[in-house]
Amino acid sequence: MKKFVLGLLCALAPLLSAQAPPSQEVVLSASAGSKLGIALPYPRISGLPEATVTTEFQQVLSKDLEEAGPFAVIQKDLPGATDPASYKAWAETGTEWLLTTTINRSAGGDLEVMIQVMDVVAGQAKNVKPVVSKRYTGRDGALRRIAHKISDDLMARLTGEQGVASTRVVFVKEAGRGIKEIYQVDRDGANPFPVTNFKSLTISPTVAPDGRLAYVTYKGGAPEIWGQRVAGGPQVKLYPPAGKIQGHCFCPSWSPDGRRLALVQGDRRGNTDIVVLDVASGRVRQLTDSNCINTDPSWNPAGTQLAFTSDREGGPQVFLMGDDGSNVRRLTREGTYNGSPAWSPSGSMIAYVSRFEGKFDLFVYKLGEGKSYQITTGIASSESPSWSPDERRIVFTSGSRGGMQLYTTDLSGNTLRKLINLDGCQSPKWTRSR
Amino acid sequence: MRFVRNLIPLAVVFTLGVGVACKKPAPAPAEPTTPAAAPAPATNDADAQKRADEDAARRKAEAEAEAARKAAAAAEMARLAKFKNDAEAALKDINFEFDKSDIREVDKAKLQAIADFLKANPDAKIQIAGNCDERGTVEYNLALGERRAHAAQNYLTGLGVAEARLSSISYGKEKPKVQGHDDESWLINRNCQFTLQ
Repeated sequence: MKKFVLGLLCALAPLLSAQAPPSQEVVLSASAGSKLGIALPYPRISGLPEATVTTEFQQVLSKDLEEAGPFAVIQKDLPGATDPASYKAWAETGTEWLLTTTINRSAGGDLEVMIQVMDVVAGQAKNVKPVVSKRYTGRDGALRRIAHKISDDLMARLTGEQGVASTRVVFVKEAGRGIKEIYQVDRDGANPFPVTNFKSLTISPTVAPDGRLAYVTYKGGAPEIWGQRVAGGPQVKLYPPAGKIQGHCFCPSWSPDGRRLALVQGDRRGNTDIVVLDVASGRVRQLTDSNCINTDPSWNPAGTQLAFTSDREGGPQVFLMGDDGSNVRRLTREGTYNGSPAWSPSGSMIAYVSRFEGKFDLFVYKLGEGKSYQITTGIASSESPSWSPDERRIVFTSGSRGGMQLYTTDLSGNTLRKLINLDGCQSPKWTRSR
Repeated sequence: MRFVRNLIPLAVVFTLGVGVACKKPAPAPAEPTTPAAAPAPATNDADAQKRADEDAARRKAEAEAEAARKAAAAAEMARLAKFKNDAEAALKDINFEFDKSDIREVDKAKLQAIADFLKANPDAKIQIAGNCDERGTVEYNLALGERRAHAAQNYLTGLGVAEARLSSISYGKEKPKVQGHDDESWLINRNCQFTLQ
């Protein structure tokens, strides 16, 4: 019984130690070597149509739980049976957790969702308290968001780890010839919509922990870095300041504390260097100064180091350095073209892409082991990795030339999923912020 | 004005026209400006003569000015057309080897033609846009495009073009010239494009 969760905890030990400790005791009831079976009998509903509950709640929650990782959603239903007398029958379907839901909508459009999770295995022998009992509220249209929240809460109860059902992905989408805009989409592929409408080339988004965007736009002719100085605030120019600047700027990357932007600054000879902009003061510190390309800055979670791509030793390779530009060392050793480093949320891994025979595949470098692991192998080119906030998956672009789409994969590469059926996507960034 | 002019018999204009050809054109304010003045020629022949005289002179001057304007416009059009033709002939893309920003031998004549064009047209300024094929990463290609644009810029300044007349930009792989996905298309898309500013 304990083997699964303990195994999981060992695997996540570095992650957990880097994050806030779980507020609740972790439930240790998962079957050894398997997932925890959870059943979702159809909710009791009043005040809203069944079709809405089916598409906006039941299907959403079911998919969230399936994709969370440690759950197996039991697709059987035992109509009307949610009392202790039925626990044995539920357990025989493979159910361990029985999730019962009541959804009420008032005439004024207020939603109330109440859930209760019973352990039907333990509950057969004696009276037990619910594993989870919680009430959620919202206005019309909030059902989908509530379903995501429930999934994340059940995930936290089971593993002590915050789920990612409520997260979103910010990305670039082609919107016409020479026109690209920043878009966003929920993690489950729902609600895609444009964030910018500059009708210009707008690329390279980065998202601060509080949701502030930064990106590159050519809307004024030359590339400039635009974004938000305050969460939810207007989109304004962040860099360069007015006045004469030689060369151009690219590839902004928010520091984990959201105060600094690492970015790429071209010089008058055509070289590009990593600089760090203190957004409030406008102070700029140059980290690299070499006769070559330096680009793709990605922060470690502590904000003390950066991974970046440089061709200082020939072709593009991934390097690491301190946030003052010190202690530069090369990370990738194999392959002639490595780039797009993405430091993982726990700091223990760096995802990157490596090119072989004209196409890219995703790799993950495990810093503790000093070794790289190949994640994708396919006929398509896979590019621009970005970690899920729980470090379980990577979002990236893949596809034939010109038809790049958004996909996610786990680290084994076994559960590859298309995030949304949308062509012309690039540079996804996965974020918890809403 | 037009109404007044129409009242004057055409024959008068033709017979007097030659005599006033070298008269300085009278400025418009001297002319009667209201239809009420029109009956005047019928009551005084001398006044009518003078008025017709002035009117013819003015019309001729206007015609001459118009012709001069047209000639100047035509000359300007021709100059612009030549400038445009020369620009089109000179501002040809140069291309690059994969992941390289070195100017190829085969492109040096093209850059010389661009430098010659800029010397012949001292007011012209150009923007150099560096581009890449689709096979690198987005971010690295932006830097590579920057390097290609600067390679072309440096070569041109080496040929004596003032740096102030050359601006650069990189679009990385974001604006491919052609949409193909083969060696030929990739070579076309690894370029510097030169456009008049």
